[in-house]
Amino acid sequence: MALFGSSEKKPEVKTEFMFDTESTINQSTLAKDIKINGSLESTDYLDFSGHLTGTLKSSTINLKPGSYVKGTITADTITVEGEVDGDIQAKDIYIKSTAKIKGNIRYQNIDIQNGSIINADLFYSS
Amino acid sequence: MDENNTDMDENSTESVGDEIQSTPIDNDAKAVNIGSGVRVDGRIEGAETSDISGTLTGTLKSSNININSKGAFSGDMSGQEITISGSVDGEINSEDYLIVNNSANIKGVIEYASLQVSYGARIQGTLRHRGSVQSYSPVSTDEVKEDETNESHEGDQ
Repeated sequence: MALFGSSEKKPEVKTEFMFDTESTINQSTLAKDIKINGSLESTDYLDFSGHLTGTLKSSTINLKPGSYVKGTITADTITVEGEVDGDIQAKDIYIKSTAKIKGNIRYQNIDIQNGSIINADLFYSS
Repeated sequence: MDENNTDMDENSTESVGDEIQSTPIDNDAKAVNIGSGVRVDGRIEGAETSDISGTLTGTLKSSNININSKGAFSGDMSGQEITISGSVDGEINSEDYLIVNNSANIKGVIEYASLQVSYGARIQGTLRHRGSVQSYSPVSTDEVKEDETNESHEGDQ
């Protein structure tokens, strides 16, 4: 085993990369005073603080404190700090202490913080 | 702890094993401990702490409940402080806080006041927050109307 050990060093993780402003990630931010009736779709990263009635879809969604969504949310990763009334479908769901959720949650991995108010049906899928 | 150890030493030097066995050990702590590999079927009430590493089927009422990673519970459980690391199939009713660890596998209805779930835990079922005003009522509106009319008839009589 050791004979064939690679002499190459493991690539060092560049911490600066995470804060690279020239990265190709598209980040959208929707402020508190925004109200949407209908559908909102984004491909990458969405910070949402507004009110939405309808459907919300993105790769990564952060529902900030004070945000409100009534309808369907689809994401790879979602962090909920606001209020949701409807269906959430995501691979990874992080529910923070300020969250209030009513409806259905479909997930693969879930993390719930103490203090959140959830009245929902949970569906686990691998 | 030190005192206990010295007591133990004294007993062992006296070498009267039979007398030690004959003194009954009271479990005043209201503690329930089901070891791994042990299967229990029935109803447990009035317990202070319950540590389940085996299999328990039935009803469990205890202030503190720990379903350990090897533990399996099916039935109804209610308590104040509940920690789940194993598998649960049934109803969980927690008055104070409920901690679900990443090794947990839960199927059923969970009623809670404070809930913490670690990433990796599997929960399949319904979450209900205690104290929340439920907007959906289990009784259909038609039945409510019938009840109201019945009441009014009774009032007439």
